[in-house]
Amino acid sequence: MTDITAHLPHRYPFLLVDRVLEREPGLRVVAEKLVTIGEPYLQGHFEGRPLVPGVLLLEMLAQAGGFLEADSLHDAAIFLAGVQDARFKAPALPGDRLRLEVAAVGAFAGLMKVKGVVTCEGRELCTATLLVKRL
Amino acid sequence: MSDLKLRVKQMIIERLKLEGMAPDQIDDLAPLFGDGLGLDSIDALELVLGIEQVFGVKIEDEAAGLKAFKSVQSLTDFIAEHAKS
Repeated sequence: MTDITAHLPHRYPFLLVDRVLEREPGLRVVAEKLVTIGEPYLQGHFEGRPLVPGVLLLEMLAQAGGFLEADSLHDAAIFLAGVQDARFKAPALPGDRLRLEVAAVGAFAGLMKVKGVVTCEGRELCTATLLVKRL
Repeated sequence: MSDLKLRVKQMIIERLKLEGMAPDQIDDLAPLFGDGLGLDSIDALELVLGIEQVFGVKIEDEAAGLKAFKSVQSLTDFIAEHAKS
């Protein structure tokens, strides 16, 4: 699936998913983000030593998680409600092809819990559990 | 305290990380949400997942949750009623 903007309302410079590789709505999603030196946030994070901010790795997982929803998110009111057990194990750098894997853990009363992991060439960079609320 | 009720309280404490709280400090009849333990909607999801994992009982929708989450007593009754024997 490459028509990312049809599904997600996020836009430059905050669209952080390039491609969806696997998708089972309600269950799991595998997506990709390719990091380039041209990313605006790398200009200042940090000067001479660019690395992707950890919070943006969480945002990448959240955006990838948007593809767990069967329908487009353009008219949906869905927000991040919580982050649990976030771990950052290694930095994501320009040139990295990030694999974003998100799996549903459970849902109740409009609130969904998902587990996410960011890897690069088989190495785990970030793991976290996200809570997403549908209003 | 019944064995099941004690396990329900232990599950609540563990799942919601109510550190330093003992099972006998949770009033059987106090409301779980709002005034009693003061739980919120994220806690509700954690409890739904915990109940399924520990007791094998599913809380299907909000209506079932509303009934089950009134108090520890009502939650214990709900689990006893729906648990597979």
